[in-house]
Amino acid sequence: MQSSGWEGQLAEIVREAEAAFLLASTSKDLYELKVKFLGKSGSFQGVMKAMGALPPAEKPAAGKLVNEAKQRLEARYAEVEAALKAKELGERLAAESLDLTLPGTAWTPGAQHPVTLVMDEIAEIMSRLGYAVRTGPLIESDRNNFEALNVPKDHPARDMQDTFYIDEHHVLRTQTSPIQIRVMESEAPPLRVVAPGAVFRCDADVSHSPNFHQIEGLCVDRRVSMADLKGTISFFVGEFFGRGLKTRFRPSFFPFTEPSAEMDCQCPLCKGKGCRMCGQSGWIEIGGCGLVHPNVFQSAGLDPKQWQGFAFGFGIERMAIIKYGITDIRLYTENDVRFLKQFPS
Amino acid sequence: MKISLKWLQDYVDLADFFAKPEELARLLTSAGLEVESISDQAKQFQHVVVGHILEKGVHPNADRLSLCQVSTGDGVVHQIVCGAQNHKSGDRVVVALPGAILPGDFAIKQAKVRGVESGGMLCSEKELGLSTEGDGIVILPSDAPVGRGFAEYRGLNDVLFEIKVTPNRADCLSHRGLALEIGCLLGREVRAPKTELRRVAGAAGDVSVEIQAADLGPRYAGRLVRRVKVGPSPDWLRQRLENVGLKSINNVVDITNYVMMELGQPMHAFDTRELRGRGLIVARAVAGESFVTLDGTELKLDGTELTIRDRERTVALAGVVGGKNSGVSESTTEIFLESAYFRPSAVRRTLRKFGFETDSGYRFSRGVNPEGARLALDRATALVVEIAGGEAAAEAVDVYPSPLERAEIRVSLKWMEERLGYSVEAHDFETWMKRLGAEFRVLTPGDYLVIAPSHRPDLLIDADLLEEFARLQGYDRIPEKLPKLDTAPASHDAEYLGERRARRTLAGLGILQALNYAFLGDRAQKEFVGEARGWRDVGLHMDDEDVRILNPLNEEINVMRRALTPALYRNALHNFRNGERVGRLFEIGRSFHRRTRARSEKFAGTEFGEESRVAFCFWGGETDLWGRKEAAPPAMRLKSDLESFLRALGVTGWSWRKLDSKPSVAHPGQAAGLVLRGHLVGFIATVHPLRLEEDKFRTPVAIGELALASILEVAGLRRFQPFSAFPPVDRDVALVMSREVSAGAVAESFQRAAKRLASEGGDWLRSVEIFDVFEGSALGDGKKSVAYRLMFQSLEASLDDARVNSLRDKIVQDVCSAHDVAVR
Repeated sequence: MQSSGWEGQLAEIVREAEAAFLLASTSKDLYELKVKFLGKSGSFQGVMKAMGALPPAEKPAAGKLVNEAKQRLEARYAEVEAALKAKELGERLAAESLDLTLPGTAWTPGAQHPVTLVMDEIAEIMSRLGYAVRTGPLIESDRNNFEALNVPKDHPARDMQDTFYIDEHHVLRTQTSPIQIRVMESEAPPLRVVAPGAVFRCDADVSHSPNFHQIEGLCVDRRVSMADLKGTISFFVGEFFGRGLKTRFRPSFFPFTEPSAEMDCQCPLCKGKGCRMCGQSGWIEIGGCGLVHPNVFQSAGLDPKQWQGFAFGFGIERMAIIKYGITDIRLYTENDVRFLKQFPS
Repeated sequence: MKISLKWLQDYVDLADFFAKPEELARLLTSAGLEVESISDQAKQFQHVVVGHILEKGVHPNADRLSLCQVSTGDGVVHQIVCGAQNHKSGDRVVVALPGAILPGDFAIKQAKVRGVESGGMLCSEKELGLSTEGDGIVILPSDAPVGRGFAEYRGLNDVLFEIKVTPNRADCLSHRGLALEIGCLLGREVRAPKTELRRVAGAAGDVSVEIQAADLGPRYAGRLVRRVKVGPSPDWLRQRLENVGLKSINNVVDITNYVMMELGQPMHAFDTRELRGRGLIVARAVAGESFVTLDGTELKLDGTELTIRDRERTVALAGVVGGKNSGVSESTTEIFLESAYFRPSAVRRTLRKFGFETDSGYRFSRGVNPEGARLALDRATALVVEIAGGEAAAEAVDVYPSPLERAEIRVSLKWMEERLGYSVEAHDFETWMKRLGAEFRVLTPGDYLVIAPSHRPDLLIDADLLEEFARLQGYDRIPEKLPKLDTAPASHDAEYLGERRARRTLAGLGILQALNYAFLGDRAQKEFVGEARGWRDVGLHMDDEDVRILNPLNEEINVMRRALTPALYRNALHNFRNGERVGRLFEIGRSFHRRTRARSEKFAGTEFGEESRVAFCFWGGETDLWGRKEAAPPAMRLKSDLESFLRALGVTGWSWRKLDSKPSVAHPGQAAGLVLRGHLVGFIATVHPLRLEEDKFRTPVAIGELALASILEVAGLRRFQPFSAFPPVDRDVALVMSREVSAGAVAESFQRAAKRLASEGGDWLRSVEIFDVFEGSALGDGKKSVAYRLMFQSLEASLDDARVNSLRDKIVQDVCSAHDVAVR
């Protein structure tokens, strides 16, 4: 009964292993049992070795029996392992649960100041028409800020602008217009430039800041007319405030332009119907413009018989007031985080 | 400038506009005379009536208030609380009843004042908008009819326009001037002022006039009027002056003001008995002379001012203000009326020099009509004779040695078309020139010679006529086109592009951009900046002295900023106090300094320099996840943000340097300078604890300020760099060193050593990171241990352990010999 001996032994191992598998509490324990029974030096291997002593005629049948037993055990192992792993994964996931309603790591978007946002936007719109950005110093010569712009000393137009003086020959520029002079003196026409920047007036109340910002545009060419100017402003208004808003010119006076005009656009808030922002008029004043005065061309060394040009200027804060509905100009210089973070980039 | 519709009506028929004044306003605004406000008196004084105080009692709850029972003739007795003190029982007063809306949108309602019902208000001149001063309520004559509407009682049925007149349109600073403008716009006839004398003139005048400074005062006219009676003005005259914002003084002075408001010609009246001698001279002042103005201000003259003089002294500053020594008083009986033309620049210089703002100076400095002097004189003379009695001298004096020539302007329709962008018809042009009162001649068809009327001295050149024509046609006629672009656009300014890139990058890093004034207070600046040297030593341009503003608005903003951080730090403090416990701000802007240019340069002498800066202020510690870790100091955050910024700009090869000399606002042990291409370009630091304590800024704060141009200058082009496909190998090295040794400098030393060992595979060293720092007694006093992680990777092959270890050993040996450090 030698054969029944190893057969019995085989059956015993299978039974023992199956029972042990079922008792394993972790997939790691289970794996150790697999090694114990099915590994290189496991119980099963012992049976295999014993089989080597069998007569050749019995070997095929015996081999088949052993393989069947092994397959059965491996299947049982896979079954138990799957159950254990599923259980373990469940436990792990439960342990790993994270309350995502807790705050994350703080990261708030940064933001540019609305004044520079508006500057960039205007520069970008104008650059589609071929305008290049130019800058200039904030402490400017009296000559560039006034005289070359057709405002000699003792001219009543100096009353229009209260000026901060640094010394007899230098002022804090009261407008971005001196950049016009700098450009006309250093670059050959035709010219298309926009000049954004800080300007200063010796004047402060609830609606005036002594340090605010403007952007100035200048176009010089052989033939440039008021109609070209109006079309340019109209394009700008459409891009900046919204398509379909009309532009209107009103006669005005600036020493450096002739003819001069104030530019109005239809109120972007009420689309021209009349509201609180536009004082029920339907129109909002956005800046000044005109054809370059021949005296300005002459000061800058250009022959007014050969060159024509137009210039226009907007107050940046004013544009931001209209566009973003900012009502209090103090907000622009207070740098309150609650204000700044409203313009994320 | 205030303009009365009734007054305008004297000169041009505007009867159709009384019911719709806003249409006249629209017309003026679209012609360039912006109407800022309209006040319709009839509407303004609805529910404002004459009342009678039946009884004045005391308010039960307030000693300073009175409780009045007021009758308004309709049988109702109104109980009104009043704060003024100048009234008594029985007075006739002006009562604003509920429903009235007083100037300044002040609506009167039935209300409780300190617990007592009050049904209206007793009004002062100021509350009625009739005067800018006066505290007491208006007490009317005792015969004022109770219940009568106040507007009707005072003849206030005018419409007043507040018009913003641009500096070029001095001709519109008077009623007749504006009437001429409206007449031109509407094509209506404009009437001439009445100048005929009511009484035939008396004997010839004996006051002579001589002009000695014709360059400044080309014309001087005047007329003697004898036996005048100075006294109060008649109601109509007082009313008209008050309506346009002038105070009534006496009939003679009022007439000079009236003519100025009517014709735009400033006038003056001398009391001839106070003059020394019977002659007036237009001449420059005598240097050193003193002069007392009508209102008693004493001035020292330097000889450049244009004056009117008698035989001995100055009796008026020409066109600006009269002298106390010769003004009209109650006892004046003989006057000399002045009507002159002075050069705008001469008057303006005097105004500026003494800081005067007078109605006369305002008009002269903008340019009155040189040919209008005589008309105004005749008008004033006629009014004096009519109102103040008196006898005008038979003839006026009018000295005008060389009459001013009017400009001859050549202009062609084609030239105008090119500039307006629409076709200009000869008929239209000629029609407008005629309405304007210009003389013109057709040279060839479409080509004109134009002489503007004398009341429009602002029309001097072709461009002026171009504007005038376009304005009269209406700017709405201008079509919209775009100029042809037939040359390539230029590039944007490099400074702008650089700053824009910097702004966008920093905002992208989560930092908020602040924008401060370019100026601040000298004390605040000094206090924050301390010694300028500390700033210069970190590579920033800074003078010891401020660039000062000569005429600051106040002491808070009297110097240009030498640094950006002082204001930025204030912003941070403001935000901290408003509950922002943690925050990050940056600013990009200019700082200012003085520099001396060589004489050979364009502008010799002192000039000013502006340095483009980027500045930071970070405050509060940002903790990792619900406070699980210790908060990182803001200076470390600033450092890493700044490095991210540099990386984003493509800057390479920066390093940090410990600073010996630095701004005094920096914590002495927490500051570092940024080095680019061998030069310091700025610093970052924790703010000194004493400074924070003083400001009760109860959280750590870091600041940084750097020369932006120096950073942008080395911002690189983006070029692709190949990277390795082989696995990296890490090696950790812990070094023990004294606390004072800069761990960062040691890290750089690893890189340098690797470079020297290039032939032995030094270029495999990809990065050096510090991953642990600790101090402990086991290390010994004043020592720290710094752990460096070296990452090796080759572009060509996988690395084997033996070669990496040998390379590491050589590098470490090299570092240990360069610094006072040892392997732990």
